[in-house]
Amino acid sequence: MFDQSLLNQSKAGLSEIEAEYIASSLLKVCSTVSPQQTNSEVTALLDEQRDLISVAVVENGRPIGLISRNIFMEGMAKPFHHDLFDRKSCIAFMDKDPLIVDQNMSIQTLSFKVLGSGRKTINDGFVITDENGDYLGLGTGEDLIRVVSFLQAEKNRLVTESINYASIIQKSFLRSSREDMSAVLQDYFMHWEPRDKVGGDYYFCKKFDDGFFLALIDCTGHGVPGAFMTLIMASFLDHILHEDNRHDPAGALAIMNKKVKMALGQINETATDGIDIDRFSSAQSGQSDDGMDTAFCWVNTQNGTLTYAGAKTPLFYIGNSSSEVQLLDPDRKGVGYIDTPMDYEWTNQQLPLTKGMCLYLTTDGIIDQIGGLKKIAFGKKRFSALLQDNYLKPMPEQESIIMQAYYDYQGKQKRRDDVSLMGFRF
Amino acid sequence: MTDIYIPATSDTPEINFKFSSNTLSMSGEAYPENGVEFFRPILRQLQSHLTSLNGDAIEFNFQLTYFNSVSTKIFFSMFELLNEYAKAHPNCVLLNWHHDEDDDTILELGQDIQEDFTWIDFNAVVLA
Repeated sequence: MFDQSLLNQSKAGLSEIEAEYIASSLLKVCSTVSPQQTNSEVTALLDEQRDLISVAVVENGRPIGLISRNIFMEGMAKPFHHDLFDRKSCIAFMDKDPLIVDQNMSIQTLSFKVLGSGRKTINDGFVITDENGDYLGLGTGEDLIRVVSFLQAEKNRLVTESINYASIIQKSFLRSSREDMSAVLQDYFMHWEPRDKVGGDYYFCKKFDDGFFLALIDCTGHGVPGAFMTLIMASFLDHILHEDNRHDPAGALAIMNKKVKMALGQINETATDGIDIDRFSSAQSGQSDDGMDTAFCWVNTQNGTLTYAGAKTPLFYIGNSSSEVQLLDPDRKGVGYIDTPMDYEWTNQQLPLTKGMCLYLTTDGIIDQIGGLKKIAFGKKRFSALLQDNYLKPMPEQESIIMQAYYDYQGKQKRRDDVSLMGFRF
Repeated sequence: MTDIYIPATSDTPEINFKFSSNTLSMSGEAYPENGVEFFRPILRQLQSHLTSLNGDAIEFNFQLTYFNSVSTKIFFSMFELLNEYAKAHPNCVLLNWHHDEDDDTILELGQDIQEDFTWIDFNAVVLA
């Protein structure tokens, strides 16, 4: 059987790049001197080789110190020092305790060592030895910074490229929804803005002969894990929406709930009254608890009715006769989570649509964003007021206005979550 | 039971659980990448502290402005623990729900908590 501890030795991708660069990558073979050599010999060497920053003093193959060009020249420049020191051993101006590192040391460890040993190592460099401690050559602070920056850029590039490509995949999964949306709606917008290029927010639209099915989905998490969840949800949803149940969003939510719970093993066997004593034990730490908050809508274009079922995601609407924003309130259970029972039933709500009526769905990314002077959530009131003030304008213009208000409100605060917002006029 | 004090970070709240005086406070924001890992040890300690009590009054001060969905679920579990205790010892748990007067998001969540955990005495406090 494969020994799992072997995996720690496995190098691939990012850890591979790191392993490729070690102290010996910085190695410069430089002339050395022995302690028997004099300061005048060092002067001659430094004159001859102008690019030498430092010279290692080596005895029997071992480095015993480092002579810095700057310190040496400064010392020798003092009055009479040539007369005093020229014939003496070169150890007079040598740093007896330079940083000495093994050629196999990782760049990361080396960086911390160099920083830890202070400015002299950054200026004068360090000594690199073989496994036995024998002198090999010198490394400079400048080269170290160069390699560290390169590694940093390389790692960023790998991660960024990978996420950029993941974003292409996630967007192409949304393509058929985008196409169906533009086929069934005339005046509408769909604003999808994951916090980290990919994310846990998702939208879905499917056209049928008698209407269309619309969903806005907020899966647990954001970034790459969130995106994984959206792909799972999207494929489930695509599979379950067949002939009849498209007319029954609440029923579709119930099927999704069962599917997600089964697929991710999120079944709470102790879901009885009372407190589950082991709920917070570490034994359950491998257990996932993922799911989605969402609004499922069936829009019957024949008779002009919308059937809505919501899992923690409300539907905002505003009719053309009344200018009050109204809400269809969702049920308060999310889909698929451990604490949502396997047989949980969501409720359908019917909304007769009149021509010109505006409908909006949003995930909690906008409503819950912290910002403003008080650093509190954006809030439903502020959101509703924006709808109220702008609902007569064309939908794409509303999108710009709402998002601008949102960006202004967020100000310098960090984005907390993925943001999705859609609106359409019937 | 030793008290718990954990200072706030940008994505985890300040936890000030003074078990010695049964005053439990939480403030700030909660959206850590792995919320379960952060909160599990805290909830375990709360759970075992509650089993050691017998009708002692508990005051809980909740003053958060933002928490993600994972943290929300954890808080519901936490209030469920307190609700169970209050069911066995009526009027022993007071929850002070601090919120800004304009923060309808936090207030609405408080109303949900109040609705779900009926044994807890809920007290909405508008921040000055």
